[in-house]
Amino acid sequence: MSDGPLIVQSDKTLLLDIDHPLSVECRRAIAPFAELERAPEHMHTYRLTNLGLWNARAAGHDAEMVIDTLIKYSRYAVPHALLIDVAEQMSRYGRLRLEADPVHGLILVTTDTAVLEEVIRAKKIAPLLGARIDNETIAVHPSQRGAIKQSLLRLGWPAEDFAGYVDGQAHPIELKQEGWKIREYQEHAAEGFWHGGSGVVVLPCGAGKTIVGAAAMAHAQATTLILVTNTVAARQWRDELLKRTTLTEDEIGEYSGSKKEIRPVTIATYQVMTKKKNGVYSHLDLFDSHDWGLIIYDEVHLLPAPIFRFTADIQSRRRLGLTATLVREDGMEGEVFSLIGPKRFDVPWKEIEAQGYIAPAECIEVRVNLTEAERLSYATAEPEERYRYCATTRTKRDVVQELVSLHAKEQILVIGQYLDQLDDLGETLGAPVIQGSTPQKVREELFQAFRTGEISCLVVSKVANFSIDLPEATIAIQVSGAFGSRQEEAQRLGRVLRPKADGRGARFYSVVSRDTIDQDFAQNRQRFLAEQGYSYTIIDADDVFQGKI
Amino acid sequence: MEIRSYADYLRSLDDAALIALFESRSDLTSPVPSDIASLAVRAASIPSLVRAVDSLNRWQLQVLEAAAVLPEPFTEKELLQHTDKSAKFALAALVNRGLIYLAHDGYRLPSNLREILGNEIAGLGTAAPKKLKLKDLENAPTASKKVLDAMVWGPPRGAVADVKKPNPGLKWLLDEGFVSPVNQQTVVLHREVALHLRGNKVHRELLMQQPELTGRKVENKSLQLAAISNVTTFLRWTEEVLNFWGQTTPVALKAGGLGIRDLRELTQHLGVESACASFIAEVAYISGLVTIDPDDRILPTHQFDIWLSLPASAKWENLTSAWLITSRLSGLDATPMGPELDRSIAAIVRRKVLSLLESAESIAPTAESLLAALQWNIPYRRTGGVPAEYVQWISREAEWLGITAQGALSPYGLALLNGDDLSMVDQDLPKNVDHILIQGDNTAIAPGPLEHEVAQELDLIADIESRGAATVFRFSEQSLRRGLDHGRTGEEILAFLKKSSKTPVPQPLEYLIGDISKKHGKLRVGNASSFIRCEDTALITQIIKDKKVEALGLRRIAPEVMICSHDAIDAMNILRSAGYLPAGEDSQGLLLSGPRVQRAQTKARPPRILGEFEQPTVELLEIAVRTIRTGEKSSAKQSTLRDISQEALGSLPRTTANETLELLTKHLRENPSKSLSIGYADNNGLVSHRIIDPLQISAGSLMARDHATGEVLTFRIPRITGVAAL
Repeated sequence: MSDGPLIVQSDKTLLLDIDHPLSVECRRAIAPFAELERAPEHMHTYRLTNLGLWNARAAGHDAEMVIDTLIKYSRYAVPHALLIDVAEQMSRYGRLRLEADPVHGLILVTTDTAVLEEVIRAKKIAPLLGARIDNETIAVHPSQRGAIKQSLLRLGWPAEDFAGYVDGQAHPIELKQEGWKIREYQEHAAEGFWHGGSGVVVLPCGAGKTIVGAAAMAHAQATTLILVTNTVAARQWRDELLKRTTLTEDEIGEYSGSKKEIRPVTIATYQVMTKKKNGVYSHLDLFDSHDWGLIIYDEVHLLPAPIFRFTADIQSRRRLGLTATLVREDGMEGEVFSLIGPKRFDVPWKEIEAQGYIAPAECIEVRVNLTEAERLSYATAEPEERYRYCATTRTKRDVVQELVSLHAKEQILVIGQYLDQLDDLGETLGAPVIQGSTPQKVREELFQAFRTGEISCLVVSKVANFSIDLPEATIAIQVSGAFGSRQEEAQRLGRVLRPKADGRGARFYSVVSRDTIDQDFAQNRQRFLAEQGYSYTIIDADDVFQGKI
Repeated sequence: MEIRSYADYLRSLDDAALIALFESRSDLTSPVPSDIASLAVRAASIPSLVRAVDSLNRWQLQVLEAAAVLPEPFTEKELLQHTDKSAKFALAALVNRGLIYLAHDGYRLPSNLREILGNEIAGLGTAAPKKLKLKDLENAPTASKKVLDAMVWGPPRGAVADVKKPNPGLKWLLDEGFVSPVNQQTVVLHREVALHLRGNKVHRELLMQQPELTGRKVENKSLQLAAISNVTTFLRWTEEVLNFWGQTTPVALKAGGLGIRDLRELTQHLGVESACASFIAEVAYISGLVTIDPDDRILPTHQFDIWLSLPASAKWENLTSAWLITSRLSGLDATPMGPELDRSIAAIVRRKVLSLLESAESIAPTAESLLAALQWNIPYRRTGGVPAEYVQWISREAEWLGITAQGALSPYGLALLNGDDLSMVDQDLPKNVDHILIQGDNTAIAPGPLEHEVAQELDLIADIESRGAATVFRFSEQSLRRGLDHGRTGEEILAFLKKSSKTPVPQPLEYLIGDISKKHGKLRVGNASSFIRCEDTALITQIIKDKKVEALGLRRIAPEVMICSHDAIDAMNILRSAGYLPAGEDSQGLLLSGPRVQRAQTKARPPRILGEFEQPTVELLEIAVRTIRTGEKSSAKQSTLRDISQEALGSLPRTTANETLELLTKHLRENPSKSLSIGYADNNGLVSHRIIDPLQISAGSLMARDHATGEVLTFRIPRITGVAAL
């Protein structure tokens, strides 16, 4: 019996003991084929999925290597059935290949006619296929490249895609490393993506995903379409690209509600892409308007459905997805992987924190007692109104006020879901409120003022959930949220994770009403972060008032 | 003594030879025959011979077949000529088993044996009726040779359009007597001819050696590791299945066995394929850890509790030894734990598969080579070979149990087969851990097999999320509530976690436990038939202390409320009789004033009216009278007839079957148109009187028309008690 750091469970999860001296080595060894599921303090959980194993095959690892790794690091005997299953699954990959044929265009080729016979009889696949060329070959409609890959994946016969990518229109882009240096993990991520062709890079908030994007563009050396969540994010991408790469202002275009520029590097918002005019998505043509060599999806976990559909049609272009939290409450993670590409890089948040690239953060849940009257009205509230009621109780306002005054010298963000609550808080705290209706110009002015320290407290609605870069925010206070959304919680914590100039830690307060569904939702929201190793401390509102924090 | 029969032969055997015979044919001694004559009868009986033949391997069977086609008596030399020199040993084995015996004039076979081996042994036809000139075969015309080629290796029969008009090739053969017609369309090639053409050999291919087992070599180290993993997994599965059934008891099907839905639940619970789940259930069943009780519930037995306390080696031995001897095959497509899984050959095949694996020595034989070797060892003539699936299932099950690992026999399996000490299982098992690691995401990980007590306690307060060598538990509101429901308090849970966790208990978990234990039991639910409330708490106190109303079984649940185990009306009556003045309250809390008028809740069902009828009309009455009259007449006639027949029966002379036959024949010959009166006994021996018109006598029966029914019936003559002409 070896004394390795890995425990291989019969349900295909791998438990990695991170306090073990070999854990780092082991993590590197299993990363290519196992997916990181949870990374709490002591034992990280990885899972062997079919998709993960196939991706490992695609990246050139074979079943023998996977099995050897498992046996080498395993603490206990590895279940034989699992090893057989690994070998079996990995052997399924590559029996079907998509190739470009000079005569027939896109073709599906097999080394195993039985498999081909099986798949061409599948209901979902038949309409995507063209004429049978010979026993082992069948033509595929070029436009169905994404769809057929997706369907084959579901059938369990993933096709190896040899049809390659179009290079797109060449455009010189270089990283301009003046006064900064690309971090090791960013480089790994960009390279991992480039060798894989397409895929998703998962990095914590504040860990510099934009730079990974820029590095990927430098690899591609081609025209690039960048899709982002909103205009503020678009501007930030632009600023960042100007600072970090050789691109000039004329080369970067913005395609949003207000501007419609198409340049070699174009940054478009999801909002404008999914805008319907007379029932059609008129802006989706942007995908075809240019011979893009690379398409970057920022915050890919928010990817809206129409873009999903369209992405299926552009499988010949390289695609890079960036996200911090690939958890979707709608369970569409699988779609992201099959359409944009598999996860190419993922690293536990705490590891980046240990390297000093994101600020250490302390998460505190402040439990607020409802007053007797509030409890009564909560108890009698309509079910659909309940969350709103307990999330916006008056008592929370006092706690927030107290918290703000305790951290008077720091940059504070107060984040909430309900506008009247935010207005109320803004008034009480004497702080400006940013919400959906705040004009772009005002927003940017306020952000600028916050950056320079003119304003020390900002009240923001969910518009600021993503991609706002507020370097000096050290305190975030969350008063309400979108029910039990795990990724929202993580994104909000991300607002304070940018490393601080003086290396200070950040604090994330979540104000929760005790014994209400607010508390239940909070528990669900915290799951993702807890799985990333952020453990919450629970304190009582009274502790806040007594300054015991 | 001259040996003239099988019995003589057996009589001539010495004790050692008889013991050898009994050893190879154990059915001969249960029960022990009274003398050699009855032993000979039993040993030569078909069922016993079938068993003996089934226990032969393929080579022995071939030699036996060769012996069966030789004309009796035959010599050893003749037999060896028709087979191979090495058949000498096979012959000895066959003699040992009493399948061939040495009579005074040479070797002979027990008479029934040929019947078992079939009509056309080794594809050879019947012997020729006369002596054939086999030399002439060399000069056979080409067309005849073609026919011979087609028939020489069997089957010896051939179909022809018409034997009367054979084609030239066949005609020659028929003429020479090499081939004889069987019927209009079939001819048969005679045994001597085929044997001659086969070069005096019976079989084309002699299968003297067991086919070699081929496969991958398994390294000892990885074999042992994999085996221990299989053993631990199986023990864990068994424990989990029975714990699961201890909590959610499935009900067995009417026909016996585990229902498909329960099996599916079990499959899900264990996270294994359903064949594996049914095997686990089956093994627990055959080893007595679970049983189907008289109420058809499937429940773990006390045996299970004892089993739990055993060391792993004993646990394993318990399960595997039951599996080794069972005649049940859980791979069969039938309900697990049901009545249809028995196959008489199961244990034999299982033993053989394992002994083959043992002989393979750390080689994992391929399924094909294992099957081939097994089928050589157990040709199992009755059904044409052991089904390939049996071998597949047995290999699969041995693997699950850890008797094999990666397809090769494990060291534990070897020890089990040899009955050696199994304590090495305990030594090789991963060491138990007694601690868990609790993490911030409300999970606890036991980084190895957990001590039984800790595991059980943890099972109560957390859900298992991942199983294997380690276990991942998740705490949730529901799982903690389950612990509280089982009588643990929040403090106890926390203390237990603090004690067993190597890492500090995260604060949110502490809060979670606190929150839940605070809320748990705040609401109380109980049964009560009625309540008594009063705003005057003094009165309530008085009533509760009042001895006269003790019968009510009152319990005070609040200062102003008592509950009572009687219903409201009884409670009021008792209270009234004790001098109180209670008033009823309806479900809305309204006072019921005045005497309570009750209404039935069910639909009215007035009783059926008897006695008075509507006055019938005159016509109806007339019809009624007419009907009665007709009935009367017919019944008078009936009763007269009955009287006559009774009388006739009494007056009928009783005759024996022969006399009856004679009388009937005579009657049929002389006046066939006249009716007869007979007495006829039914199955129970009751004699009834019948009037019949006899029609014909055939095969001991009389066909006759019965007057009572008008049908033609068959009367068996021995049952006719007497005959008289009317």
